[in-house]
Amino acid sequence: MENLLKSPSLIQRAYWLIKLRWVAIATLAIATFVSQRFMGVSLAASALYILSAILVVYNLVLYGLLTYWTQAGTPPAAIRRVEWIVTLQISADLLILATILHFSGGIENPFSFFFVFHMIIASILRPKLQSYLQATLATFLFGGLLILEGGGVIPHHSLIGFAGHELYRNGTFVFGFLFVFVVTLYLVVYMTTTIGEQLRLQQESLERANAQLEEKDQVKNEYVLRVTHDIKGHLAAVQSCLDIVLDETVGPLNEKQKDMVGRAHRRTTKCMEFVTALLRLTRMKLTGQLEMERFSLRKTLLGALALVQNRAANKSIVLRHEIDPTIDMITGEAVLIEETITNVLLNAVKYTPAGGRVNIVAKQDDSFVQVRITDTGIGIPPADLTRIFEEFYRADNARATERDGTGLGLAFARQVVQRHGGRIWAENNPTGGSTFTLTLPVDPAATGAS
Amino acid sequence: MGQGSILIIDDDPDITEAMSVVLKNRGYDVRSAQDGSEGMTRLKEAKPDLIILDVMMRTSQEGFEFSRELKHNKKFKDIPILMLTGVKQKTGLDFKTSAGDEDWLPVDEFLDKPVKPDVLLAKVEDLLSRQ
Repeated sequence: MENLLKSPSLIQRAYWLIKLRWVAIATLAIATFVSQRFMGVSLAASALYILSAILVVYNLVLYGLLTYWTQAGTPPAAIRRVEWIVTLQISADLLILATILHFSGGIENPFSFFFVFHMIIASILRPKLQSYLQATLATFLFGGLLILEGGGVIPHHSLIGFAGHELYRNGTFVFGFLFVFVVTLYLVVYMTTTIGEQLRLQQESLERANAQLEEKDQVKNEYVLRVTHDIKGHLAAVQSCLDIVLDETVGPLNEKQKDMVGRAHRRTTKCMEFVTALLRLTRMKLTGQLEMERFSLRKTLLGALALVQNRAANKSIVLRHEIDPTIDMITGEAVLIEETITNVLLNAVKYTPAGGRVNIVAKQDDSFVQVRITDTGIGIPPADLTRIFEEFYRADNARATERDGTGLGLAFARQVVQRHGGRIWAENNPTGGSTFTLTLPVDPAATGAS
Repeated sequence: MGQGSILIIDDDPDITEAMSVVLKNRGYDVRSAQDGSEGMTRLKEAKPDLIILDVMMRTSQEGFEFSRELKHNKKFKDIPILMLTGVKQKTGLDFKTSAGDEDWLPVDEFLDKPVKPDVLLAKVEDLLSRQ
């Protein structure tokens, strides 16, 4: 399971171990108290309370060390230290458990089952060989304890009132118990590491597949970039030639010629728009470094509104805005954000029937600005609410309303917003029409955007 | 009617032809070259009042290199350059910021391809009138 460990998850698990230990300490103290006070079991309570106190100090020290070493991110050296802490913790825990058992009945104490937990933890967190070594350590510690107590080398603290206190001197029982104990520990390590190994292999193959996908996506984007760039070059030449025919620079045209060349020109213009949009989107995906600057979002919003004002007026669409007075300077690439907001507004106007309404509401809360663009338009089929942000995807009703469209506008908008560390999504209004919401961080650097 | 001589350096013969027609129609004296070295030959034959330069010819940098070479040439450094580009879009190369100092890319104006005839004429007129 080494792979799982070479990530921040090892550190999380190291903290998790410390948390578990707090529970164990509490259990030890409470179990001692309850057995002695309410069950009348005789045990070396003071030794156990002292052990609890030692455990508290030990756990605090571990917590401090772990925090100190992992504060500055997770460089390889820190990871190695955490690996060592985890290994030592498991060994130390085995020693402590054996000590606790010594003071609380040895073989008579069923808490000896808890060795199994440590084997599971070792198998999950550390490599196979280390887990077997920990099982061997546990065998020596617990086996040694039982044999030394049985042979009278060290004193035995019987759990009088709980189990037969002559058990520890019964050789057959001690060896039978130890045999099952050892087999259990090694089997647990074997099973857990085997399952862990399978999981690790699966995870590795998933990671490989993911890396391959990313690589393929990169190759695809480079391919699209090259192809669209070439197409754009040819289109630019076609357009340049058609331009001068259409404006009759090279001689007069009759009506029919003018009509046909005009059609050809319009189609190349559409094609050019599509190719340009695809080129920009692909470039952004491939390189996509934003040129961050401080700019007034208020001015950008008003600018976008001014740009669509005419088109809205032509369709008798009422365009309203409500911009929070606190909204002003934010950090981002102004040109891209203005274009994104303009695009969403244009879409709203495009897909709203004449006489409808388009509202834009901007609010600021904490470190994010939220811009909501609501229309009384045709709405979005529920199944398409997320798909419309995919490249080339257009909802059926949008296609029916407006035949031409690149299917790239919202993909570009999403790319821009995500690059800034924000989100964009669409919803249908209960009363008809749809709402597009986009959030943008006031300062992407502060919120950790790429 | 416009007055002045213009040299177009672009490896796309169709775009060159279309621009030539527009500019000649307005009365400019137009010559053209397909790459940097041919451009240099034409420059030496007769010094134009304006150069229209494509940024991407054989290599993506040829236009840049050519414009730099010109500005280091005493004889030609005062000729205004109008650079044509298909990549001035955002997220591609951003010439002005990556240029930084004027020495690096001493280009006077940029236009995106395809250039509309009226835009081209306006820009050319503007550049020539700055002289």
